[in-house]
Amino acid sequence: MAKPASSTATSRRKFLKYAAAGATAAISRPWPARADQKTITILHESSFIKPFDEYVTNTLAPAYEKETGIKVVYEVTSVGSLPTRISTIAETGSGADIAMNALLQIIQFGEKYLDVGDLAEEIGKAQGGWYDAGREAVQVNGQWKAIPFSNIGQLMNWRTDWFAEVGVKKFPDTWEELYEVGKKLKAKDHPFGFELGHGFGDNHGWLYPLLWSYGGAEVAADGKTVVIDSDETARAVDFCRKFFKDTMLDDVLGWTDVSNNKAWMAEQISCTNNAESILWFAKREFPEIGKVTDQAMNPAGPKGRFHLLNSISHSIFSFSPVREEARTFMHWLMQPKQLGGWYAVADSYYQPLLHGYDNAPMWNVEPRNIPYRDALANAHLPGWPAPASRQLAESVAKYIVVDMFAKACAGASTKDVIRNADAQLKEIYRSA
Amino acid sequence: MTVVSERLPALGQAARRRAPLSLVLDRESVFSWLMMALPLLFLAALVGYPFFYGILLSLQYRPVAHTGTFIGLKNFITNLHDPIFWQVTANTFIYTGVATFLKMVGGLCLALAMNQHFRMKNLVRALLLLPFIVPTVLSTVAWLWMLDPAFSVVNRLLVALGWPKPGPSWLGNPTLAMVSIIIINTWRGLPFYGITLLAGLQTVPPELYEAATIDGASGLQRLRFVTLPLLRPIILIVTLFSVIFTFADFQLVYVLTHGGPQNATNLFATYAFDIAMGAGQLGLGASIALAMLPALALLIVALTIYMRRV
Repeated sequence: MAKPASSTATSRRKFLKYAAAGATAAISRPWPARADQKTITILHESSFIKPFDEYVTNTLAPAYEKETGIKVVYEVTSVGSLPTRISTIAETGSGADIAMNALLQIIQFGEKYLDVGDLAEEIGKAQGGWYDAGREAVQVNGQWKAIPFSNIGQLMNWRTDWFAEVGVKKFPDTWEELYEVGKKLKAKDHPFGFELGHGFGDNHGWLYPLLWSYGGAEVAADGKTVVIDSDETARAVDFCRKFFKDTMLDDVLGWTDVSNNKAWMAEQISCTNNAESILWFAKREFPEIGKVTDQAMNPAGPKGRFHLLNSISHSIFSFSPVREEARTFMHWLMQPKQLGGWYAVADSYYQPLLHGYDNAPMWNVEPRNIPYRDALANAHLPGWPAPASRQLAESVAKYIVVDMFAKACAGASTKDVIRNADAQLKEIYRSA
Repeated sequence: MTVVSERLPALGQAARRRAPLSLVLDRESVFSWLMMALPLLFLAALVGYPFFYGILLSLQYRPVAHTGTFIGLKNFITNLHDPIFWQVTANTFIYTGVATFLKMVGGLCLALAMNQHFRMKNLVRALLLLPFIVPTVLSTVAWLWMLDPAFSVVNRLLVALGWPKPGPSWLGNPTLAMVSIIIINTWRGLPFYGITLLAGLQTVPPELYEAATIDGASGLQRLRFVTLPLLRPIILIVTLFSVIFTFADFQLVYVLTHGGPQNATNLFATYAFDIAMGAGQLGLGASIALAMLPALALLIVALTIYMRRV
């Protein structure tokens, strides 16, 4: 009996000894020697335009390293994961030194970002001045929390051949005119398709401008008073319901952001609201469709014409150990030589927010993109005329405005959907 | 004795000095705790800590990248006033209830069918696991295409059978969207039920069936009085797991509808994610996620008590 017992004991001891040795070895293994070279990490969302990301890794980063000896790491994160990544970095205080912002990050993470006002003013002065939209996109309480980079605008995409079939050569100027055209096209089995589901952008992209163009708004300019319950909103909702019913596919109520691109390439819809990706993709993969695709500014309503500001910008984390180097890098990056080159590789997918580029050669590559530049004059953040706020971020995340319209389209009464939206917004803005 | 006297000279002084330690380690009580320390530490770090941190978060006003302030149960009260929260609650219960029921019935049928003898039985059994093996996001994207009105296999079939064009809007109609996610969840979870119940079926002694047959029991009676009672513990365990997984489902909805249309498919997990990550309200998001806890805890306790009695 003694033998088996003792042999188990030995194997246990051996096991422990090996385990301990292994753990010690793993812990005490020397860290890779740290080079003296400084590194700036810049976090970006993966671009729809491939050469855009490649331009940084292959051209800009090596050039900067050659000039200054500082290494630039360009980290790409997948589409949709940017807010989560920035959250992690802001919460843990490490991970990247510069981050790209989309719509709402500035208000959420502003406290962790450096004020780059001096830098932005200098860049603006040297390059024709900033668009108002650029200021609106990055300023929080008068402080520049980021350097604006560009807008990725949303425009009307329309099929010129099918519009011509019903005698329309020029894109309709008002929502009502567009509605009349849509009715005829739906009868010819060429319906419209505007996202009314829970995507990230193509829903807000046309519903906020629609609301504004009828004179409606979510919150007043003070950022506190909820003003959604108005006759203007009711008119916008009424229009949206008939627009949906008489011109669109039923399916749009469940669409996410990829749906209208897919429907376009399948030749299923004749008009939608989207960023430049539809034209870009059609030209490359479906040249026949690309030829008959055109883009136009949003139609006007009784109170004017509006667009959604969907800007991207760059912020420097205040906790970054290389924040001064990052400032210098941003200054270098925003000089015409670098910035102009970077814009140019993407044609005009990224629309500059500096007036200095209003007549840049990039606009000649694809004249159908010129409305993107002109749309900047009346582009605003969701929630306008109120400044962007945490409350706005909550309203967007809860799809309050989108679902107000969508519920009306699905059959609810205008009064009910506005009352619901009003109650929910008041609950959200109570803390403002 | 002989064993020890042989070893001592070989190991010499060192062995004698180490003896007390090795004796301590030889004790069952010490050794077992030592072996368990690592998994326990693991559990504490990866399950315990996030869980308690979640509870702490839910009691705070905690915008992302901002220090939190303790506000007690205010977040939970906010949720009570939020119509979307109530819709999400109803959605989650309907989704879990219907999907679990379908999986249970379907899984049982599947297991009974698989328990028969036929050619290429093993191959078919292996193939059945496919929906469970393929990553959820991938299979959901495939479903996204199948339910797309332009490319839908389903709609093409229906239209060919005389349904008016373009066929039902699977993801655009609030009711159909819920039906769609329930069907996909059932499709995905069925093999788990089927294979587990099949394993249970194979442990049922054939003599019992023979005895029942001799007593004149019909096929249905054998199922009712022999198979089901013996399978009950396994059915309960699988149901428990399935309810937990379905209740906390995220990927399927996130990929397919993102909670739309008009929140008709929004579940606790997707809504909590939108509030925490989209709106940047970590505290409020945590309180929504934690709203799942009481229902699940109650279910787990009830099932455990029931199983003890069985």
